[in-house]
Amino acid sequence: MRNNLLSVENFTLRRGAVAVLDDVSLHLPAGQTLALIGESGAGKSTLAFAAMGLLRQPGIGMQGRLMVGDTDVVSAPEKDIRALRGQRMGLIFQDASSALNPCFTVLAHLSEPLRRHRKLGRAACRERAVALLESVGIADPAGRLNAYPHELSGGMQQRVMIAIALACEPELLIADEPTSALDVTIQAQIMTLILDRVRALGASAVFVLHDLALATQVADRAAVMYAGQIVEEGPAAEVLNHPQHPYTRGLRASAIEFGATRLEPIAGVVPPLSAMPGGCRFAPRCPLATSKCTEQRPPRVERGASTLACWHV
Amino acid sequence: MNNALPLFSLLDVEKSFPIDGGRRQLKALDGIRLTLHPGESVALVGESGSGKSTLVRVMLGLEPATNGRVVVGASDLGQLDGPQRRRFARDVAYIYQDARGSLNPRATVAALLAEPIRLHKLRDTREIAGRVDELLDQVGLPRATRHRYPSELSGGQVRRVAVARALACEPKVIVADESVAGLDVSVQAQLLNLLRDLQAGSGLALVFVTHDLGVASYLCERVAVMYLGRIVEMGPTADILQSPRHPYTQALMKAFPRFGAPLTISLQGEIPSPADLPSGCRFRTRCAQVQADCTSIDPAQTLLEPQRHVACLHPLPARTLQPFPTQTTTSEH
Amino acid sequence: MAAELTDAAADSAGRPPNAALRAWRLLSAQRKAMAGGGIVLAFVVMAVFAPWLAPYGPTEQNVMDAMQGPSAAHWAGTDSFGQDILSRVFYGARSALWIGFASVALGMLAGVPLGVLAGLRGGRTEWGIMRLVDGLLAFPELIMAMAFMAVLGLGMGNVVYALALSFVGPFARMVRADVLQVKSRPFVEAARLMGVPERDVILRHVLPNIVSPILIQAGMRVSIAILLGSGLSFLGLGVVPPTPDWGLMIAEGRGFVSMAPWMSGMPGVALAVLLVGLNLLAEGLRDALDPRTRSRH
Repeated sequence: MRNNLLSVENFTLRRGAVAVLDDVSLHLPAGQTLALIGESGAGKSTLAFAAMGLLRQPGIGMQGRLMVGDTDVVSAPEKDIRALRGQRMGLIFQDASSALNPCFTVLAHLSEPLRRHRKLGRAACRERAVALLESVGIADPAGRLNAYPHELSGGMQQRVMIAIALACEPELLIADEPTSALDVTIQAQIMTLILDRVRALGASAVFVLHDLALATQVADRAAVMYAGQIVEEGPAAEVLNHPQHPYTRGLRASAIEFGATRLEPIAGVVPPLSAMPGGCRFAPRCPLATSKCTEQRPPRVERGASTLACWHV
Repeated sequence: MNNALPLFSLLDVEKSFPIDGGRRQLKALDGIRLTLHPGESVALVGESGSGKSTLVRVMLGLEPATNGRVVVGASDLGQLDGPQRRRFARDVAYIYQDARGSLNPRATVAALLAEPIRLHKLRDTREIAGRVDELLDQVGLPRATRHRYPSELSGGQVRRVAVARALACEPKVIVADESVAGLDVSVQAQLLNLLRDLQAGSGLALVFVTHDLGVASYLCERVAVMYLGRIVEMGPTADILQSPRHPYTQALMKAFPRFGAPLTISLQGEIPSPADLPSGCRFRTRCAQVQADCTSIDPAQTLLEPQRHVACLHPLPARTLQPFPTQTTTSEH
Repeated sequence: MAAELTDAAADSAGRPPNAALRAWRLLSAQRKAMAGGGIVLAFVVMAVFAPWLAPYGPTEQNVMDAMQGPSAAHWAGTDSFGQDILSRVFYGARSALWIGFASVALGMLAGVPLGVLAGLRGGRTEWGIMRLVDGLLAFPELIMAMAFMAVLGLGMGNVVYALALSFVGPFARMVRADVLQVKSRPFVEAARLMGVPERDVILRHVLPNIVSPILIQAGMRVSIAILLGSGLSFLGLGVVPPTPDWGLMIAEGRGFVSMAPWMSGMPGVALAVLLVGLNLLAEGLRDALDPRTRSRH
């Protein structure tokens, strides 16, 4: 376990009285990629932001361990977290047009982490910025340095965001739906770029995704989340192609593929976080549910290379 | 297909917008040829700048075409008189992409659904409440929804209300713009099943705008793939998915994340701006099969085989393989 | 993302509350609105029931007791004519509230239709109306009111007319902006597309959606109106003495501030408290109606 870059153990995050993340555990070995899958409200973005140390705020309570390398994000002092962010971790947001500051040029955006964490001077910053833009596939990088975000296309804005995230050569890259806002033909380019850069750095990556097929294409491991809990975790090919948990199966059956004859959506809707059922949270919608499911929370069991939380596997 | 008068006939429709203070023209639509017969479903598929939303607005009469003709039934859309306009408003229902924004926030769901019924005098006043209940049942919403305001409903529920309102005027065509984009997978699946069942059950024609070829293939018998304002390929969904003839269609299909397929970059470069169209074929800047004449000749939408249109000087050869069957070839309802 | 429809407010038959109850529930959730509303209500009661609440008549003079500080007989002291200040403050609430609400109501009566017409019609109609409004808006409200008082003469009625006129411009401009904003929302286009006749589009779709912004603006205007009215009276261009009016009272006490600060102080405090109350109420109203600040109910 020592070589796990990201190690989450029994991690619970509360907003007020509500447990947004409930006893979550997962591990990501160094150099591998993880896909966090789920629908909206499942907590995947929350987990990703928590790993970045962005949720250490009043009103939010955390329990358990969330280790990035040797640092426990739950308990480490603020200066350790700041050193972690930007230097050892990078974050890519979903919507580049709102994540980039419209008042700053591309160069200004790139210089910020370089100056703060690498303490580079103006000339060195500029040089590195050009190299970064080139590495993310932007043509005429020197010419783009003085551009403002609104002057760039969506795909290019996303590339700039990737460059910013990779500026200090992080060990862990977190990407929150990095291609959802892009056209599908650009999506493949951007995803390939991210994977190439991550592999070149020998870094690990966590992708927050809702598209299962995309997850099979980009991730080594997958963790499926429902209502703040991880219901299935394991190698991506196993979890997504041969799902065992009823929720994952349901997701797979609702996913559109060419030639699908009938989609089988999961019945019902996600209950609000403030009114979660006791026992297994998925029980009200589960085709396999029995009375045991509503009374007791299922333990984590290993099935093959995956870990599941279900009574009926 | 059927010999009845087509609901829509678009003949070489063009639409341009003045930009830069009127100095330049942005050609959003170019040479569109499209017909829609009663009961047919067609998906308009394209990425940004494809013009699919503009096409829909021109078809609905929200924007006048700059060139070409938009014919509804037997008359020109621009030349409809009062009663014909009202008939058109009733026959063609539109579901906005921004479903929530398309509902009056100050009206209850019951009022929203009753409005088209009253407007087109489809029921006696006494029967309206019953009809509203019927509509709510049809879209799978509990009857208590009638008292709610749109702000009290979730995204998926709001879209269902929008669908119900579209059905309320008993239209012949439903035009839906990206109705399932941004929804959770299971909500999306529910809504798609609903649309499919409604369309199959009631003989409605459906025009569905989407960027998602998968959704298009699930919902519609015909697909029109659009790129920078032109329909580059159009035909039965099954045929197109098995044997795409236009390089863009093929690239689009490859770009779609599929289980078991590796991540492939099918197209390099960015989509050119519609204000700065490449000379000759608009797709040539990204086409893997580009040839010399593609720079100078702009291919029009031409009939390649019965029912199959392609806008390409060198269409891909037809494939006889069957990588996967599609549901549109089997009838199950 | 939200889940099922939650309506804890539904009655036992499963039917949700009617519009009035809904509005009340929205408002009562805002503490600001409740606090402000309480203050305003207190002043309204003060004004309406002044004859019963005031210990003395407003113009009852007791020269013997002139310039007395607060005492058991006169809780707020007396002025230079021996009139009881507390009673005059109570009666003064009448002129303040009347001027405030009446002038805003009149201003809306003229300004709102102008704004609606300009917003809906566009083109030359809009241009003409907005140039007229620009002309009105060119003058600061107080200056314009003063000019009108000079022309119309003094007195409470004229104060109301003068202030109302100075409010026409702001209302017209704001309402036109609201109409334009609503007109461009998808549901208006959707209604037209469905074939709804233009008249119904305006009545059912546009107008109901500009009511809340107008109400909020009106609420905020009332406090401005009261302040302006008191200001006019203070300058001697408003209500005539011996009418009990806070502005007048402040002016009368101006020369005696070091000797008898309660003469200006008491009406000043009353004015300040009423304005705070009105502002709280207006802000609370705005927060209650803003879809972003209110939770799903």
